Amino acid sequence: MKTNLLITGLFALLLGIVLNELGFFDSGKLLRGLRNLGILTSDMVPPDFSVLPVAGRALWETVLMSFAGTMLGFLASLPLSILGTRNLFPTVLSSLARFVAAGVRTIPVLLWAIIFVILFGLGPLAGTFGIAAYTIGYLAKIYSDLFEGTDPEVLEAVGSTGASKLQLVRFVFLPEGANAILTQLLFMLEYNIRASSILGFVGAGGLGFVMQVYLQTLEYRRLASVLLLILVVVLAMDGLSAWIRKRFLLTAQA
Amino acid sequence: MIQASSQKMALRAEGLWFAYRDTDWILKDVCLSIPNGQITIIMGPSGTGKTTLLKILAGILTPSRGHVEVLNHDITNHSQRSLASLIGYIPQQLGLVRNLTALENVLMGALGRCGSGSALLGLFPGEEVEKANAALDLMGIAHKGTEKVFRLSGGERQRVAIARTLLQHPRVVVADEFVSDLDMALALEILSRIRCAAAQEQITFVMSMHRQGLVREFAENVVTLREGQVAPGFIPVLTQGAAAVEMLQ
Repeated sequence: MKTNLLITGLFALLLGIVLNELGFFDSGKLLRGLRNLGILTSDMVPPDFSVLPVAGRALWETVLMSFAGTMLGFLASLPLSILGTRNLFPTVLSSLARFVAAGVRTIPVLLWAIIFVILFGLGPLAGTFGIAAYTIGYLAKIYSDLFEGTDPEVLEAVGSTGASKLQLVRFVFLPEGANAILTQLLFMLEYNIRASSILGFVGAGGLGFVMQVYLQTLEYRRLASVLLLILVVVLAMDGLSAWIRKRFLLTAQA
Repeated sequence: MIQASSQKMALRAEGLWFAYRDTDWILKDVCLSIPNGQITIIMGPSGTGKTTLLKILAGILTPSRGHVEVLNHDITNHSQRSLASLIGYIPQQLGLVRNLTALENVLMGALGRCGSGSALLGLFPGEEVEKANAALDLMGIAHKGTEKVFRLSGGERQRVAIARTLLQHPRVVVADEFVSDLDMALALEILSRIRCAAAQEQITFVMSMHRQGLVREFAENVVTLREGQVAPGFIPVLTQGAAAVEMLQ
């Protein structure tokens, strides 16, 4: 009991020190921020919907980039995640695959976009590859962990039929993990739509470029319309995910 | 792939020792001889090493010491793929893939014979599909072939697991407490089907079980494990069925 209190106290103290270092207790700065928030909000209303045709075209490009990037990343992450499954392959191989996935994941999606802009030039192709690269790193890790958690009894039973490793992947790992594979894929697609809306800041296509222009020219009412547009797409994506999950996932398990 | 030969003893285990950690022995010098074409039941209190012993007999675990022979072949250092034609295994929770249909689960029994080409696309040879349907028919659930396993009842799942093992055409089937979750009537029906399959296909069944009523009805041989050893006072292959149970009481 005393140890718990001591740990809680130490944690609170540490948090307090960190927040103080970051200026959290600087009341002058906080009040100034709140005032600015009020000004920014009043500058944003009412939203200027006259930009919708331009923003809509850019948003469509963002959605296409997200979809293509997510699917490319998903397809590449599957073999990498299977190689990273420690109860299927020798430690050397699985560690190497996990190291590659961790390395890819370490680089944020914006940095990937900059790298691909350098490689392929400005435009949505760079953004698509950037999203695909980040997706590989993220999904490969999630799927490897998922496959490793497959019920050992199922593996033993199907393994005893003489199934090869490839057959185990096809008939055990993929169908047993189907729910989580689909759920994570949909989550990744949602995440990538949000993330890719800023890729245009570095010239990687999509809505980011439009947002950057409105920010730099202080046209906050137009920016507000773009943000509302993103909100609508994210909500629509959420609804689509829920429908797909309901339609395709197992509804009863014992 | 190992070829089966005709033997009086289907399975022999000699001097089996096993520990998951260091010298924390789960099995201590277990010796067994299990006759061919009969139903042998392994009994014993919980935590006495029955599951570990069955996994060693099925070639899933390798013993720390000792060796296992199945139909005169030492299986100790063989891969599961090479043992598939000799030994089938049904775990306690059956090891079915819930998101596949009953027929797809049964067809997995043929994976050891199928290459990695068309089977990976889910396209099994027509002959194997016919055999899988026949195995489901033998188990009385031919009409459930297209149903996903998570929609089946406990008894139906049990039958799918047996059908999968039968399609594998093993000479020995090792099953771990696999009727323990069923009510008595259903367990009797499932075991009757096993007895029928054992007689028809000349398959040796080795099962762990704790219900004495079922053991009395179905066991042709009984072996008891206590604290990781074959219980003292019992010879490895015991007297027939009911008499063996009397000795246990």
